[in-house]
Amino acid sequence: MQIAKRIGILLGILTLCGCSSAVTRVSIPVKVQSEIDITRYSNFAVLPFVSEKQVERNEKLPPEVGEEIASILRRGLARQKHFEVVSSQETARMLTGETVGEDWLTDTKHLRQLGEYFEVKAVIIGSFRFYSDSRPRRYYGERYSVRRQRYISDYQDYMQKTYLLSLRVMIVDVETGQVVWDESYRRSTAEAHTIGSFIFSQVGPQANTIRELGRRAVSEFTRQISPHYESEDRYLVN
Amino acid sequence: MLRYSQLALVAILLCWVLSGCAIISRDVTRTEAYNRFAIKAAQAQLWNEAVFRWKQVISIDPEDSKAHNNLGVAYEALGNMGEAIAAYERAAELEPNNKYYRLNYRRCRIHLRRSGGDDENAPQLEEPPHLLDEDT
Repeated sequence: MQIAKRIGILLGILTLCGCSSAVTRVSIPVKVQSEIDITRYSNFAVLPFVSEKQVERNEKLPPEVGEEIASILRRGLARQKHFEVVSSQETARMLTGETVGEDWLTDTKHLRQLGEYFEVKAVIIGSFRFYSDSRPRRYYGERYSVRRQRYISDYQDYMQKTYLLSLRVMIVDVETGQVVWDESYRRSTAEAHTIGSFIFSQVGPQANTIRELGRRAVSEFTRQISPHYESEDRYLVN
Repeated sequence: MLRYSQLALVAILLCWVLSGCAIISRDVTRTEAYNRFAIKAAQAQLWNEAVFRWKQVISIDPEDSKAHNNLGVAYEALGNMGEAIAAYERAAELEPNNKYYRLNYRRCRIHLRRSGGDDENAPQLEEPPHLLDEDT
């Protein structure tokens, strides 16, 4: 009798398994359009980025950092087949020694004029803030105690230094003087320091960190304004 | 005598029914095999092969909602958005309560709206009545 019952349950389970339909998740490429009108804005002049001066926490950086960020952006845009970018040499030549200041960000008349010189549809300009924030942190873990012959909980203090880059990117239409794009991109990276390495990091150069953060922020901007593929999940039913 | 003829009739009927069942089950196993193969092709990103297989499934059983849904996914992966929408709609029409068909359909529509919603060639995005209600 019990055997018959068990067989019944087994058959029931098997029947239920047969009734269910499995699903397979697959990734498909979906085309994402540019967030700007690329038929209109196809060639750009990228001006050196400006360091925001009023921020007290800003790290001291060499003046060429703004130009370096602009170069990264130029390279990123030049790789896209939809865009043409004025080269770094040409930009420097046209600027004829003029230093791009914070006031340029609002002076659309001047930017339009520059854009006409460059013979482009739009001018890209922006500013950046780079600062660091240090906080003591405590890391909890376990270590083996020889005396007690077992693992015991333990902690270690260290300094966590977080670098933050806030990059503002603007696209100004040369024909109308309108700002067609104005977005900020924040990127951060953290380092763990002992007291010794922390002191060293305070005086050491940070150009590499800002370059890396700039590259990440710029790649997001480039991605937004150029058509690209993203993968999305769909369900196939077995 | 009468009994024998009756038995013979029942036997013939039984044979006929069983042979019919066999044909149907053969078709079912064939469509299932095609479907499994197509899914493997899709996982390997061989979307044209997958489309071919799912079309075969539909030619055998035009009411196979799974094949219509899967074909929709394949069309979407290939960028044939109009055909993808039509296939998803057909799948949802055949099996209105399947949440996966709805999910695929909605996502396809969202993507269409984002990318080519104002495109003249883009298909009309009117929600069909069987997809109007509830969740996802």
